[in-house]
Amino acid sequence: MSKSHEPDSDATISGDVSIVAGLPPSRKLPTLEQVRGPGAPRRIALALNETVVGRGTQANVTIDSALLSRRHVVFRRSGPELALSDLESANGVYVNGVKAHFAVLHEGDTIQVGDVVFVLHEAPE
Amino acid sequence: MSAPAFVRFWGTRGSIPTPGHKTRRFGGNTSCVEIRVGDVELVCDGGTGLRELGLDLAKRGRPKLEAHFFFSHMHWDHIQGFPFFVPAYGPESELFVYETSAGDDRVQKLLHGQMSSEYFPVAFGDLGARITARHFERATVELGSIRVRCLEQRHPGRSFAYAFELGGKKIVYATDSELDLLLENREESLADLDAVRRLPRELLAFVEGADLLIADGQYTDEEYPRKVGWGHARANTVADLAQQAGVKQCAVFHHDPMHSDELVDQKIQSACERLDRQGARTLLFGAREGLELKF
Repeated sequence: MSKSHEPDSDATISGDVSIVAGLPPSRKLPTLEQVRGPGAPRRIALALNETVVGRGTQANVTIDSALLSRRHVVFRRSGPELALSDLESANGVYVNGVKAHFAVLHEGDTIQVGDVVFVLHEAPE
Repeated sequence: MSAPAFVRFWGTRGSIPTPGHKTRRFGGNTSCVEIRVGDVELVCDGGTGLRELGLDLAKRGRPKLEAHFFFSHMHWDHIQGFPFFVPAYGPESELFVYETSAGDDRVQKLLHGQMSSEYFPVAFGDLGARITARHFERATVELGSIRVRCLEQRHPGRSFAYAFELGGKKIVYATDSELDLLLENREESLADLDAVRRLPRELLAFVEGADLLIADGQYTDEEYPRKVGWGHARANTVADLAQQAGVKQCAVFHHDPMHSDELVDQKIQSACERLDRQGARTLLFGAREGLELKF
């Protein structure tokens, strides 16, 4: 083939492509990055629709700290929204330094329970 | 022991809804705060956040809703959620709307007016709920063990703050108030931004010792000179009010629609630093949608 018949490297190649209407929902999970307290540093993926954090064995995430209640706080996923509720803990739940009974959470929020501090990441970095 | 009070922010934005990724954290819905004590629902303002509250109340599945509405005033951003408040359509709901003086019917009239057919397809009279007007007497209303007081504020067309006293706790809702026009040292406060801003005694007494003050702090110090007379306060002036009145927690509210989350963060940071310099013990934060506090 002579050189003059080689395709120009800048040219767009015409052709059939299948048009995608939409992709399945993302499988990315929100993550708690534990930056302080027993067990830190570590990352906890919130894979369940409800994840209870506490000192007791009934919690989904158990942290060995006397400052935590047995079932201290629950993280709930609902569609794209992630929220937490204080489970009537003795020492409360603080979101960005404010004692919260309930809070819808966002990227970068700091969550403190007893001596344990998490930073929320809405999706893996 | 009295029932705890729960305070939830359903809308914290001022002036106009601001949906979008730049306002996700603090939220884009306009003014609406729920105070829940046992079965009693107290609703402060009916901005677009009220729609979300209505949907949530419907999900809670209570057979009969009794809700008490306290409007700071009737500007659009404080009433637009009302026609979209699902429980207002339910015959099992009983809603009370409070007028701030005897014989006044402004609130009822304007709620009717915004549902006239030029603006909205469903007429106020077609709502299923029983909606009744109640009036403050000598600036006070008693709801069982809950005492509510009102105070007129400085805002175009006037507005009112409400102090809720319940079970030994005090929550003050004071939005759409241009505190800076009330300052005893107004000129000095504009010339010297670090000067402590002296608030009038009547306002300090109204707010004094609040467990939570929810206050309009729409502007930064730099923005305010171009917005004098628009009816809103500098966040740093709210900080001074909270400090002088011995407030425990202060939620800066009615965020400017031009402010992204990052700009609200900066405004709040500035107010917190001001409190630190004054040695104040008040915890100040930016009110954000979806946050619920317990008292």
